Amino acid sequence: MRTKFIQYIVFPLVIGFLFNLSAYAQDTDLKNYRVRFGLTTVKQSDNSRVLEASFIATNKKDRKDRVPVYEADINFYNVTETEDILLGTTKTDKEGTAQLTVPANQAYVTDADGFINLKAVFDGTDGLDSEEAELAVKDVFLELNLKEIDSVKTVILNAYTLDSLNTKIPLEDTEISFTVGGFIKNLPIQKGTVEDGQLQFKFPENISGDKNGNIDVIASIVDSDEFGNVIQKKNINWGTNKIIEVESNKLWSRVAPIWMYIVLSILLLGVWANYAYSIVNLLKMKNEGKELE
Amino acid sequence: MNTNKRKRELVTEFSPMIEKPHPMLKLWILVLSVIIAIGLYAFYLQFTQGHQITGMRDNVVWGVYIINFIFFVGLSYSGAFISGILHFFNTPWKSSVTRIVEIITVLSIIVGPIFILLCIGRLDRLYYLFMYPRIQSPITWDIIAIITDLVGCFIYLFLTFVPDFAILRDTPDLKVPNWRKKLYRFLAINYRDTDSQRQRLHKITRIMSKMVIAMAIVAYTVLAWIFSLTLQPGWNSTIFAPDFIFSGLYSGVGVIIIIMFLIRKYFKLEKYIVQSHFVMAGIVLLVLSLLFGYFTFSDYFAKWFSHKPADINLLNTLFGRYFWQFILANYIGVLVPLFILSIKKIRTIKSITFAAVVAVLGLWLNRYLIVVPTLETPYVPIQDTRPEYLHYTATWIEWALSFAGVAAFILFFLLIMRLVPIISISETIQHERGQNSKQDESYNY
Repeated sequence: MRTKFIQYIVFPLVIGFLFNLSAYAQDTDLKNYRVRFGLTTVKQSDNSRVLEASFIATNKKDRKDRVPVYEADINFYNVTETEDILLGTTKTDKEGTAQLTVPANQAYVTDADGFINLKAVFDGTDGLDSEEAELAVKDVFLELNLKEIDSVKTVILNAYTLDSLNTKIPLEDTEISFTVGGFIKNLPIQKGTVEDGQLQFKFPENISGDKNGNIDVIASIVDSDEFGNVIQKKNINWGTNKIIEVESNKLWSRVAPIWMYIVLSILLLGVWANYAYSIVNLLKMKNEGKELE
Repeated sequence: MNTNKRKRELVTEFSPMIEKPHPMLKLWILVLSVIIAIGLYAFYLQFTQGHQITGMRDNVVWGVYIINFIFFVGLSYSGAFISGILHFFNTPWKSSVTRIVEIITVLSIIVGPIFILLCIGRLDRLYYLFMYPRIQSPITWDIIAIITDLVGCFIYLFLTFVPDFAILRDTPDLKVPNWRKKLYRFLAINYRDTDSQRQRLHKITRIMSKMVIAMAIVAYTVLAWIFSLTLQPGWNSTIFAPDFIFSGLYSGVGVIIIIMFLIRKYFKLEKYIVQSHFVMAGIVLLVLSLLFGYFTFSDYFAKWFSHKPADINLLNTLFGRYFWQFILANYIGVLVPLFILSIKKIRTIKSITFAAVVAVLGLWLNRYLIVVPTLETPYVPIQDTRPEYLHYTATWIEWALSFAGVAAFILFFLLIMRLVPIISISETIQHERGQNSKQDESYNY
């Protein structure tokens, strides 16, 4: 009874009270919040580019108190010396994140050093000031080759940028992470630095694949100041094909397993044969007595 | 020793039990018949109105019927086991108790399965079990085992009765009705106690004694599997089968002691059922109480230690709603017999019988705790929250039928005692013959 009272009366009241307090705080103390507006980019394996703006208000006194700004219109631009070229507009979601996927065929205008200058802009409303965040990345190309060299499964990565004449310039001293695709999280298999535009390593054995043994090998540059995030991946039949056999319970089948018939028959025959033997002996005993009479 | 003279003496000694019933016995038969009649009326109500008049519902589908079934069947298997052991090892003091054990064995295997029939909601579909048996199901194994065991026990009981039927047939002075005399003649199957007949009977009795021991173990294991092969928390345990065997033996020895006490007291058989029989049986009960306590502790300790939510839920129920029952079944039911039987000075006939009563009651309660609280705490709780759906309480119908079962057991016991001497005459003579030959040997030396 006491537990139920706590469970159904006290606990909801306390929670409700706490929620109410925080709602009141959000409404009245907006000045205590600092707005954080950021921009990141991920170049994907199909060469499309995801631009992601994050729009979150953080309590100045309590960093854990974060309020996402949602339904805010964010414009993404390619910034040039002369003008800002609009790449697209999207709204922030409930997490305060606005994502725009720019197709692979988008021609970006770069600056003199070959950087693509990107910008996310929030124009502002009556309640919120305008915000903008900028980012400069070089367009990098990752080519992933998966080959068996002398029966050794080998991963070869070529990384380069293009200059204004579309000449390939090999990457130097850039850290690359290799993972294989997983159901919940990707599995790291190698980490290395690209030298002279190339990185090569032996693919580990005994990595599980899907039911057909297929596996996604992923190469990525993570949070690079120069290139942002870049991902390249390839699917190949290098995984260990582990077929999980679902054991069918024979006891639920219509017919029992054969061993069961054999064991039961032997047991029953043994016992009943013994009964028969006893009865036969009793009858013999009876006949012996009859002869005596 | 003049065997024929001794036979006559023994028949004369036991004849009051067989010839004319004591007025108290008549009264007992009347009382027991009334209890059985009430049980039959309860059965009529249950059959016509269905299981709704019992405490069994969708959640707790088994109640006191299955507990009685386990209890009686366990009694039978333990009786068969003990009887088999007594015969197989030709125990010197077996002549005084063996018949009691054999009658318990057969009667409980007749009464026990009746309770499982009472659990069946649609008795009119009972023949489906035989028409469409599933060999994979432990219930099918149990039906086969019970039928096989029943037949085996009957044969075994008959084998041990044959020499006494022959003695009764050959006693013309016995004042019994003609139909009884004819019945003795028929059941004695021309047994004349010749060497050849004696050897043959001894041989098959010995084989059957081994067989009933094996059958008891197999059949009670199968009964335990009905529970332990399910995934129900509290039942799904590898220890269940040996636990059932030892607890069955525990209750069996307890009931044997109680019946020995009653027969000794009311039929004035102090000469044949002596203190040493009680002490022997008490020591067996002591060993079994230790084994039963060990298995019970081990089972619950493993459940508590592994801390699986379903098991903890069950333990909370046992230590909550069923706290006192749990204490009575698993503490009092083990520790009191243990205390009484382990101290030599207080090992008297009365104290041993008291320990046996505590053990039997504790064990019945232990069976209740195995069945009811377990069914009350399933993996997926029942949606309906009506107390009568969540928790089980036996109705008067179930109690009436339970007491009717016990009454039937006692009534049949008394009726068999009217038919044959409760102390085996042939076994007693054989025992005395053995003692005399030992004495002769010692004189020769």
